[in-house]
Amino acid sequence: MIEFKHVTKNYYSLTALRDVSLVIPQGEVLGLLGPNGAGKTTLIKLIAGIINPTSGEVAPANGQTTWPTIGYKPERLVFPGHLTVSQYLQMVATLCNIGRAQMDTVVLESLARVNLLPAANKQIKSLSKGMRQRLGLAQALIGDPDLLLLDEPSSGLDPEGQEEIQTYIEELRAVGKTILMSTHQLPEVTRVCTYLVILKDGEVLYQNRMAEALTLQPHIAIQVDRPLDAARPLLAMVHPDIAIEGQEVVLRNESIAMRRQILSVLINQGYDIVRVEQRRVTLAELYAEAVQ
Amino acid sequence: MMQRIWALTAYFTKSVFFSLTGLILLILSLAYWVLFFPPGQGTPDFENYVIVIGAMGAATTFLLALSLSARASRLENYPLLVRLPSRVEYLVAVMLGSLILGVGLQLLVAGLALIRGPDMTAGHVLMIPPLWLSVDILAAVLAAHASDLVTSGWSRVIIFSLLAVLLILQGMSASPDSWLVSRLYDLSDVLLNFDMIRLSDGAAALGSWIGGNTMGALSQAAGVVFWPFKAMSDAVFAGGFSPSQALAPAVLLLYSAILFLIGATLFAGKDLDFIE
Repeated sequence: MIEFKHVTKNYYSLTALRDVSLVIPQGEVLGLLGPNGAGKTTLIKLIAGIINPTSGEVAPANGQTTWPTIGYKPERLVFPGHLTVSQYLQMVATLCNIGRAQMDTVVLESLARVNLLPAANKQIKSLSKGMRQRLGLAQALIGDPDLLLLDEPSSGLDPEGQEEIQTYIEELRAVGKTILMSTHQLPEVTRVCTYLVILKDGEVLYQNRMAEALTLQPHIAIQVDRPLDAARPLLAMVHPDIAIEGQEVVLRNESIAMRRQILSVLINQGYDIVRVEQRRVTLAELYAEAVQ
Repeated sequence: MMQRIWALTAYFTKSVFFSLTGLILLILSLAYWVLFFPPGQGTPDFENYVIVIGAMGAATTFLLALSLSARASRLENYPLLVRLPSRVEYLVAVMLGSLILGVGLQLLVAGLALIRGPDMTAGHVLMIPPLWLSVDILAAVLAAHASDLVTSGWSRVIIFSLLAVLLILQGMSASPDSWLVSRLYDLSDVLLNFDMIRLSDGAAALGSWIGGNTMGALSQAAGVVFWPFKAMSDAVFAGGFSPSQALAPAVLLLYSAILFLIGATLFAGKDLDFIE
């Protein structure tokens, strides 16, 4: 849908994004992960057209010429406090070219989606942080935009609220909506995202489909009954680069013969084998590996 | 497009009108009227009244445009801005909002003449704001250039410095060889006494250049830029526009259009950094 071609963004002497190239695929829910200051919000603002790249290009992907319509939920939950919730949403609806005849329906639908109907006539300044988060999502959804930019969509919500928002994003994913969301919550990304981008210090460290990312690097862990310090020299003789973590031997691409050899060394040394387990990488491991 | 612009205009206008800024501007407008037309003062001339209202309208519109631009630069407006196909719509809404409120306050003060002021009818009152509309528009566009919303890099310094230079040049046209030229010749004499011959020659040459025909021509050219203001005030005092004076509002609108195009280009291409 949108493509970044060697995009660099500087704020005076600070480089917020450095030579970023990535494609935001249509119909995917892209999770943007990274520590604070990684450049996530800068990347979102570039797509929203709020800022311009210092060099490189942000353009519609696949030869498309038209820029997609965008709904944007910023990270900071600041809204015009003097308006009521429905007045604000009506204004957003007007900016989306929604006629008077459909306006009330559209506003009520968007409020119902985020469970904010009871607050329709409340002034925005009286809303709690959780309600403002819902309002941010409601206004972004109005007009059925081609691309949703959600900067930390469930931050500040209680677990119940987070569950509702994640369920709703899953529903949007099911109907093929393109969403880019930045978050610090790994379980949220694992649950709702179909594409993963990890940023650090303005650089893309990792990008892949979630399904592929989490099925990559399968490995086998052999857990024994006590620390493996005593067996370490013998195991190193069998396999010089063997990975030993506490009471576990981790095998990645070793042959079956090698695995048998390692198991026999452990048994001969008097270790009890507690567990042999096939594992896949978790998002937390993937993230830690990328940012470290 | 117009639907979006009007929605934003209404939003900005309401946000200023129902704020402390709006109240202060209303009080200032009323104070202006009380100061210029105090109780006990004789009925002022209609022409003077029109001029005073015109100046007040331009100043108020300038302040309103600054205030609206500041409000438009708030963080809360990012979600609205990204919905627009063009940022220019956003800027047009700020300008329209300033004009609506500015003309409204101008009309209010003009209407107060019916209570105390020159002998005039409601028709005369309604005639005053449209007369100054082109000046109000120019004031709003200049205010936009002065605001953080539109300015980019050194743009406001350049625009207002240029304006200052034109004003100074235009002022010199009245006395091309008086005070400044005399001081330059004095400076040349002082420098000569200190044996700074080159600097002395330079000061004398500058003095003669300012007093000479070149400077006169420059100041005349600068005077042409400000001709529409003079033409409009002359027309007010004459009680009507001559065919050439009738062009003055159009020339002011042309200035506004050029400045708006520059402002719109700057605003469309800049990185926005809205604040809370």
